[in-house]
Parts: sequence; C-alpha cells; structure tokens
Amino acid sequence: MRITAAALSDTGLTRGGNEDYFSIDNSTNLYIVADGMGGHLAGEVASRVAVETIKKNVNHWVTNDSPEDELFDFPDRSLSKRANYILSSIKLANRLIHEMAKEFAEYKGMGTTVGVLGILPSIAIAANVGDSRIYLIRGDTIEVLSKDHSMVTEQVELGLISKEEAENSPLRHVLTRNLGSLDTVDVDVFEIEPMNNDRFLLCTDGLTDLVSDEEILTVVKNGDDPKPLCQQLVSEANKRGGHDNITVSLIFVKKQQDVSQGITRRFWHLFKGE
Amino acid sequence: MARLILVFNKKVIKDYAFEKEGMTIGRNQENDIVIDNLAVSGFHARIDKTADTYILTDLQSTNGTFVNDKKIVSHRLQHKDKITVGKHMLLFAMSKQEQSRAEEEGLDRTMVLDTARQKELLAKQAEEKGVDIVVTKEKIGVISFVDGSDQGEIQLSKKLTKIGKAETSEVRLGGLLMPSTAATISRRPNGYAITSTGGTKVKVNNQVIKESYFLKDFDIIEIGSYKFQFYTQEREDEK
Repeated sequence: MRITAAALSDTGLTRGGNEDYFSIDNSTNLYIVADGMGGHLAGEVASRVAVETIKKNVNHWVTNDSPEDELFDFPDRSLSKRANYILSSIKLANRLIHEMAKEFAEYKGMGTTVGVLGILPSIAIAANVGDSRIYLIRGDTIEVLSKDHSMVTEQVELGLISKEEAENSPLRHVLTRNLGSLDTVDVDVFEIEPMNNDRFLLCTDGLTDLVSDEEILTVVKNGDDPKPLCQQLVSEANKRGGHDNITVSLIFVKKQQDVSQGITRRFWHLFKGE
Repeated sequence: MARLILVFNKKVIKDYAFEKEGMTIGRNQENDIVIDNLAVSGFHARIDKTADTYILTDLQSTNGTFVNDKKIVSHRLQHKDKITVGKHMLLFAMSKQEQSRAEEEGLDRTMVLDTARQKELLAKQAEEKGVDIVVTKEKIGVISFVDGSDQGEIQLSKKLTKIGKAETSEVRLGGLLMPSTAATISRRPNGYAITSTGGTKVKVNNQVIKESYFLKDFDIIEIGSYKFQFYTQEREDEK
C-alpha cells in the first residue's frame, strides 16, 4: 500500500488569525484536522493541543502495541484496536483541553472540533467531533464518513427544517459537541475497507460552508498529486468569500494490484515454480 | 448609530451620538466627550469604530476605565455596557440595526450549546411547528443465512465486519475458492455498505457488485455457495 498525502491551512479573507491546525503523520498513517474556538489565542491553543495530543498518543500506543484495556477510558468493543487508539486519544485530548480551560482564565471557553483518519492496509478509520468532515471519494462518488455535530443537523434529522434552510440558518455554526466544553465527549467512529485509488479528504467548515460536495468531487478528481489539489480547494473557498479559516488534507491510497487474489494466491508459488 | 449617555449622580447630563470613526473621553477640552472632574485624566479613554464593532481603550489614565465595574485595558463594547470614568458613567447604546448585526456576527463564530439548552431550543421549535420529537432507536444490521448452512443469524455488531476464510473474519465462510476476505460490511453514516474486496464474485439480488453497495432491508447476498439475507432491527438495550 502506498499513501500520498498533503495538507494546507489558510486564514481565509476575513479572519485575523488562523485557529485551524492539522497534522500528517506518515509513520502511523494518521491524518488530523482541527478547528479551534475561543477568544484571543485560546482557539489556536485548543486546536494545536488536540492535534498534538492525538498524534503523540496514537504513535506511542502503536509503537508499544498497547493492549486496548490499558488506554484512556473504556475501549469500544465494536471497533478495531487501531480505532480504539484513535478514539481513546481523542477522549484524552478532550479531557486535557477541558482541564486547561478550567485552570487558566485566558483559556476559558476554549474548544475545538477534530477530524481524524487512520489508514491500515485492511482498514480505514474515520473519527470526528464537531463539524469538521471526512470524505471518501471512490470512483465517481463522494461520501461523508463523519457526522456533523451541529444544531442544524439535529434540526434536519428531527424534520424541523429542510436541508436548504439549514444552509442559511443563523444556527449553522452552533455545535452540539466539541473537545473542551465537557469533561467527557462522544466520538463518532466509522471503519471501512480501503480500496485501491480511494481518496480521502479531511476539512474544516471554512471549506464545506462555501463549496458543495459535488464541487469538491470535481476538484479532488482533477489530478493525481494531492498538493496542488489542496491549493485548488482553498482557492475555491476564497473565491466565494473565504469568511473563515480553511484547512484541507488530501490522502490518496494506492494498493498493489493483486495478481494473487483468491485461488491464484494460494497456488501462485506453484505457478512460479517455487 | 450608537449613542453614549453621560450620567452623573444618577442624572443624565448629556447624550452623545457616535458620528465619527473614533471618539475620545477626558478632562481636556479637545476631547469629544469632555468630563470636567479631577478624577478624570486629560485624555482618559477612546472608542474606535471598525465595521460594526466598537472598541474601548483606556489611555493609561490615572484612575482607570471600568466596564460593568471591571477594570479594562481594551474592551469590545456590547449594547448596554456601563463605562465608568472617575465618578461619571457613560451608558453605551447601539441602534436596533447594530444590535441585530452584532448578534448575527456572534452566531457566525463557532460556539457550542450545552445539552440542556440544545434540548430546550429543539423542543421549543418542535412545539412551534407542531412536530413531535420522537427519538428513534438505533438500528442494527443482521444477516440471516438462507442456504441451508448452519450459520443461522449473525448480528453485525462491529463497525466493520469481515466476511471470508480468514480466522480473524467475523463471518467465516469455507470452500476451496473462498478468499481470506471476500467482502466487508461497514456501518457508515448513511447505513450499511457491502464492499467486494476481490477474489470472488459478490452478488446482491443476483447482480454482481463492483466495489461498494448500500444495503437495503431484505437484500439477498451471494458469496460462493453461500446465500444470506440482510435486514435491520431495533437494537436491544445492552446491559
């Protein structure tokens, strides 16, 4: 399996600072984006603490092949071990940010969203809190592998407003969950089997507020090098006003073409005369 | 346009309209708002207007500037803020238009609502619309073998269920031609999807699937000589 990844974070056109943060860790194939919130510099601190905490702990647990029962908080038995590493690290980051916000006056009220993607040869794990999204682009389709934890999503699910109304709602930036507000957090985690040529996109709402899923699909399929495509996505958002920080991370998966699948695999050595 | 109302000893002394980009407050006659009192510094504080926000800054005055009884260095003024300089008070008032704009802007910044307020807001909205909020129970997928094998029914309790010959598969299928993983079923935000991982044909309702397919209740899946049906049922409460 070969993975090429790139990421880009842009302040956008109207905000004074960038409260988004991202990380690419090729040693564990772990990709993270976060969108911080909170006055002064607190938002920037929250997103950075979240990303670094998740990255550091997943890396540590992978290196030590830590048992699931020794992680922070209880493991989720419906998930793979690697997914539990990711889940646990997100819960740990939440606790850390929550404690910091409680302890220091200048961090009061700080919080962050987070989107995490982990890739193993047989499993891709998508985990998120808040409204940062994870997309899977497979062939000509685009699919969201995350859940938006926002008021408008709940309103749509309950049938109180339509999807169109949601896009223009004054509540569209009101989250129902983030890292930092409470001492525990619920995380949505999804697992899929990665396929050859799968493309993943992690992004903050600075992109998805302004660029539709179909437009994202068009850009992501417009080349094979993720780096210039990240720039194109950011430019699309800025062309439409860039009212928020924009962060995108593209991860392209290439799996070796299997000559040796199924029956051929088991008898391949015979064909090769070994 | 915002206004500043100068109050001393609970009496309104003067009403200033905010007509410029910036206004200064102090004892010196050159100020826009002159307060002739020894507790007030010559140039005590200033207010600057940028777009729809008003920023109050203390000009290192001797006795300090207070907003709602808290000492400030600089402060973004909100409607009805009380600014205290010496013994005088300035009441800051925004126009209706400015108030609603400030409110909108406030909402444009990401924030989090606590669970109690979320529920309150949703309940109020549901009442207005005459909609009953029904919390639907989470559904879980089940596959039921219909090929006469002794597999019976299997609940898809994992987020990702592997189907194949490998010992680590959640659903183990035998047969000479069965690959270690023939297919996976994953629970995604939009439902359960079956993915053919290669090595053998995976059919849903007699159609060979390429890559992924979102399962519907009572779809019939065939892998090798195995045949099973997919459906969802309400999850029983655990523990």
